[in-house]
Parts: sequence; C-alpha cells; structure tokens
Amino acid sequence: MEITHEQISDGLRRAKYVTNERVETAIFLALALEKPLLIEGPAGAGKTEVAKVVAEILHTELIRLQCYEGLDEARALYEWNYQKQLLRMQAGEHQGLRWEELSEHIFSRDFLLERPLLRAITSASRVVLLIDEIDKADEEFEAFLLELLSDFQISVPELGTLKAHERPAVILTSNRARELSEALRRRCLHLFIDFPGTEQERKIIELKVPDLDAKLAAEAARFVGAIRKLGLRKPPSIAETLDWARALVRLGVRELDTDAVRTALGVLLKHEDDRAKVEAKASSLAPRKR
Amino acid sequence: MAALRDQIINFIAALRNGGVRISVAESIDAVNAVAVVGLERDRMREGLAAALIKDEADRAVFDESFERFFATSRAARGAHPDHRGEQVSAAAGRGKPGDNPSARDDDAPVRKTDEPREGAGARRRDEKSQATEAKPAKKESATRRDGAEREDGGRDSDKMQGRERGDADARDESPAPGIDAARVARLRAIERRPFDHYSILDYDEAREALAPLIRRFRIRLGRRLRLAKRGKIDFRRTIRAAMQRGGAMIDLNYRARRPRHVDLVILADISGSVRYAAQLMLELMAGARECFRRVSSFVYVDHLAEADFEQGHLVMTPPLDLYARSDFGRVIGELWQRRTGLLTRATLVVIMGDARNNRLPARADVIREIARVCRGVVWLNPEDPARWGTGDSAIKQYAREVSAVAPSRNLRELQAALAAIR
Repeated sequence: MEITHEQISDGLRRAKYVTNERVETAIFLALALEKPLLIEGPAGAGKTEVAKVVAEILHTELIRLQCYEGLDEARALYEWNYQKQLLRMQAGEHQGLRWEELSEHIFSRDFLLERPLLRAITSASRVVLLIDEIDKADEEFEAFLLELLSDFQISVPELGTLKAHERPAVILTSNRARELSEALRRRCLHLFIDFPGTEQERKIIELKVPDLDAKLAAEAARFVGAIRKLGLRKPPSIAETLDWARALVRLGVRELDTDAVRTALGVLLKHEDDRAKVEAKASSLAPRKR
Repeated sequence: MAALRDQIINFIAALRNGGVRISVAESIDAVNAVAVVGLERDRMREGLAAALIKDEADRAVFDESFERFFATSRAARGAHPDHRGEQVSAAAGRGKPGDNPSARDDDAPVRKTDEPREGAGARRRDEKSQATEAKPAKKESATRRDGAEREDGGRDSDKMQGRERGDADARDESPAPGIDAARVARLRAIERRPFDHYSILDYDEAREALAPLIRRFRIRLGRRLRLAKRGKIDFRRTIRAAMQRGGAMIDLNYRARRPRHVDLVILADISGSVRYAAQLMLELMAGARECFRRVSSFVYVDHLAEADFEQGHLVMTPPLDLYARSDFGRVIGELWQRRTGLLTRATLVVIMGDARNNRLPARADVIREIARVCRGVVWLNPEDPARWGTGDSAIKQYAREVSAVAPSRNLRELQAALAAIR
C-alpha cells in the first residue's frame, strides 16, 4: 500500500491525535521507508499512543511487547512448547516411530509458542509492532533485536531463518532510563516527543473532553504547562491532564480559581512533595484569583 | 537532483564535524527521506532530523546547521543577522583550538560557524540576551504570525515569550525540542572526559552528571540479583514433580539463584593525581549503598582513613595530609591489621588508585593474603592503560594478585567497571 503524507495527517486527525509537523513527518517516513521508528521523550507525552494511532491508520493489528528487566528471548520471541513435545514423544513411542521422523515432527512450527516478535514477523498481513520501553530491557536483549530491526528476520536454530512476508511497522519507545546502543539507534529513525505546547494541549483537551468549557480548557492547559516548568518529581502527563479536565467537568468547576485547583490536584500530581510545591504556588499559578 | 544530493552530503559532513555520529547507512536514509518527503522546507527538516539525529542532545547542532545549509532567502537575511552572527562567532572563538581540527574545511555556503556544538550554546545565550527584547518584539511577531513563513529570529523570540509568560501563544505549537539539549550534551561530554584532565569546574559538572549515573548503576546492580531465574535445573524437584505424571518430566523446576550478601570495602587514593576519580567513585558507591550488606569506605594517601559522605562532602577520620608521599604498601598493611571483622569471605575489596608508589615497597604479598581471605579484590585504575607499569607504577605487581584490574579513566568507564564487580 502506497502511503502519502496527507494520509498520515488525515489519519492522525481522525484518530484525534493532535500533533505537529515533526511527528507527522517521522511517522510518514517510517512507513514509507519501512524503517523502525524510535520514539523518545518524557513519560506521558504520548509515545505509546503513536503506535496505537498508526495501527488505526493502517487498519491493522497492534502487537505489543512490553519490555522489562530480565526480558529474554523465550518471552519475546518464541519458546518450544516442551510439554506438548513430551506428549508427542510419548505418543510416538507407542507407534514405534524412528528418531528422525520424530525429531522432524517435534521441532516444527506446531510446537512453537509464538511470542510477540515472532508473531509480528510471521503474520500474513502488515502489522504494527510496538516494542514499548526498550530502555527497561537488558542490553543483551537490545543486541538481539538488531537482526530483527535491520533485516526483519529471525533465526530459530531448529527451523532456520524466518523472514517477514510483510514487513511490520516497528515502533520502539524509550524513556531514557539508560542510554540505548549506537547500533540500535543507527537502525532506526528517531523522533523526540516532548510535552505539547500550551496551545496544542488546549486542542487535545477540547478534542478529548468536549464537555469542558472552551475558556476553562485554555486555562487548564496553561495551568498544566506552568506546573510542568516547576521541576516536579513527576510532571503531569497528557493522560493525567485529560483526567483532570474530566474531573473538573464532574466537579462542576466553572472558573479555575485557587480553590478549584486545590480540590482536584490529586488527579494531576502523584507525589506528596509535588503537591505541596504546587499548592504553595497555587495562588500565583491559578489564572483567576479570588 | 545531483546538486541537492551534494548539498545533503555536505550538510552531513558539517554535522559530523559538529560531533554528531552519522553512519553511511544513515546518510543513505537521509537522501531517501528527502526523496520521499519532498522539498517543502519544514517537512524536509523533520525528515532529515528523523533519519540523522538519534539523540535529542544533537538536535541543537542539527537545527543550527540546517539553517545555514538550507536557508530560505528570507531566513538568510534573518531578523537580527548581525546580532546572531556576532554571538555565534564569539562562541566559536571561545572553543579550544585543538577541539575540532577538521572544522575549517567545512564549506558552509552562508555563514562560517565552525563550532556547531558551541554554536548551540550560543543560541541559548542568544535567547537569553533576547529576553530583554522580547516585549517590544511581541507586537511584531503578532503581525508576522499571519505570514506563511516566519523568520528565524521571530521563532526564537516567540519561544521566549511562550516560556516567559506561559500563555497560549499560537506559536508555542512546536515546543522548543529538548529544551535542555545543550545541557544534556555537556553532561554527556563530561562523562567521557578523562579524570586527569579535570579542573575543579569539571568536577562540579561531573557531580551533576553523577545523579543519573547513580540511578543507572543501582538498576544494574539490582538487576544482576533478579536475573537468571531459569539457570540450572533443580534435579530433585524436577524428579519429584515428574513422579506425579508417571515419570515424564513435564514440569521443569529451576534452581533459584540466591542473592549473595556482599560486604564492600572501598579503598580510594585521594592524593593529587587521582583525587577527582576517587571522590566521584566514593560518591557513586555511596548512592548504591543499599545494594550491599555493608559498605566500609576508606581513603588513603600515606595512611588509611575512614571516609564518609555527608551532604556531598567527603569527611575523613583521621584527616589526611593530601600532599604526603603516597605509600600504598603501608596502607595495605594497615588494612591487613584491621582485618578482623572487616575482611571475610563475603567481602569484596575495591581499590581505586594509580598504584604509583614513589618506589616504596609495593607489598604485593599483603594483597595476595587479602585476596585469599576475601571474595575478591578489584583494582580500578584511572590511568591510561598505556602508562600502567611505567615509572613508579606498581600496578603490574598488584595485577598478578587481584581478581581484576579495570581501567576507569572517565565516568563512563568507572561506572561500567563498578557495575561489573558484583
């Protein structure tokens, strides 16, 4: 399928993903050049969301691999179904099969437990593969991804090399818990997503929480933008902003004054010291004073 | 098309001169990317960035070079051309002469700014200096906003206003990418800077860079404990489980690896030549204290002294004469005398020093004894491996007795060496 830049822009708009030229171009390039896309940025800036939106644009399945410390090939790629193999061997004993026949049988695809990476490679149609928080995985795992990312193929010793029929659209995300290797970076296109600007965030709020008064949405966006600059332990993510906006709707807040800010702050800030910091400055930050 | 390709190749060369690492594959990607996204300026910029810039810290260099190479006729004129030019070239003058020897032959068509990395810093300074001008520039930018294309200087001042007033400026749209890009680049540089080139300012910066390193270090140490849940097969438990299934080993049981308790004894040389390395190491280890059962830190010059970190400052008892002649032989003897309760089978001894002993007795035999009673002795040497064993360096003698000698010339090597010890 030939993909145009306009298609991506349209798709993003339809998926209600508010963004800028930079994100659009990077997504478009990743799809057009069939290259993996590495997305970095602060937590909660919408990195994972990109993958979901891309899957939506391509009308295809999203296969997600959540990385964590100690993630190994068996969980990410494939594992031999040992129990099933054993049963087959025991059944084979009664039939008097020879070893060659048997081994050919038990090391076939039927006995393979497909994990996300293998599933993405062997899928008949083009899928979106999201490798989430790659920085959480070990360095060895990263090295092991290289073959997959450059050639879209996987080597299974017993079966040989499996090559993708349709190259999956691969999206990797990272929060920079550790530095990724140069080799990995080289194979990917790169995109940095920062928190949106005030105007952009206002658009997001208006799109996702249409019940909120437009004026209030603008004030909320400005407020969140301002507290992100305070150097908090955990600056509020976009999802939290949206939760907060919904909370404001449910609380029936009409004006964003100091009291209104205080009541629902727990939705936005998840650390007690952050909360104290913002409350101390609430009167100067709140757009409307009383 | 060929002209454009040449231009892109020159552009990549300029980026490389600026310290951005770009492989051949990436430059092919860049040309392909432009072929696909077309020549519309913003798209081309983002396309090239996606293909070439793999680290947000390099983005400032990229933006600066892009403006030079793919200038529109309006942007070439610029909002404050003289002003900016002055700032940038002033910054270039500030760079050290030996830093970027090949920079002179980069053929920038518009303006010569040979130190893009410094140039990035200049941009920040530039913005700061514009802070005062931001207010009058505001009306101007409001009118400019209607124009399809904005000038370069306008973008800076717009960003400035957005940040200053934190309001809904329509041009806040594309947020300043990686606001702290220059700072990140600096911290990254300090990680690779050799300890023996440190000045006191570098040391302060290194301490700033230490915070994320400590976090990474802790993660790495912790991970080693949790790893390897599926190592060796526990034969007895597997057989027992198999008995329920008529002898077929359907469920495999693995032997869990038990976390071993490790006591750490750190010995750091704080005499002149290696003191920065030693202090940074002590601070790094102080941050990872909870990964070990007990940590005892010592510093030495010609004597042994207990070391502690209080609010980022090294406190030693008794105080040492920092200008005494290093005598590691005596120090190791003192440690050996204190061994009761300190050196056990669970103890890992980490020694940081250049093993330059002023030709005093090396006492490698004491190290051998210590290595015999302890779990291991690791030597971290902040000197260049090429200089090991030259002059009064006794590292070769010690190397025979200890479990490992690791070079740790800069923060990065130090962290890697420490992460491997456990």
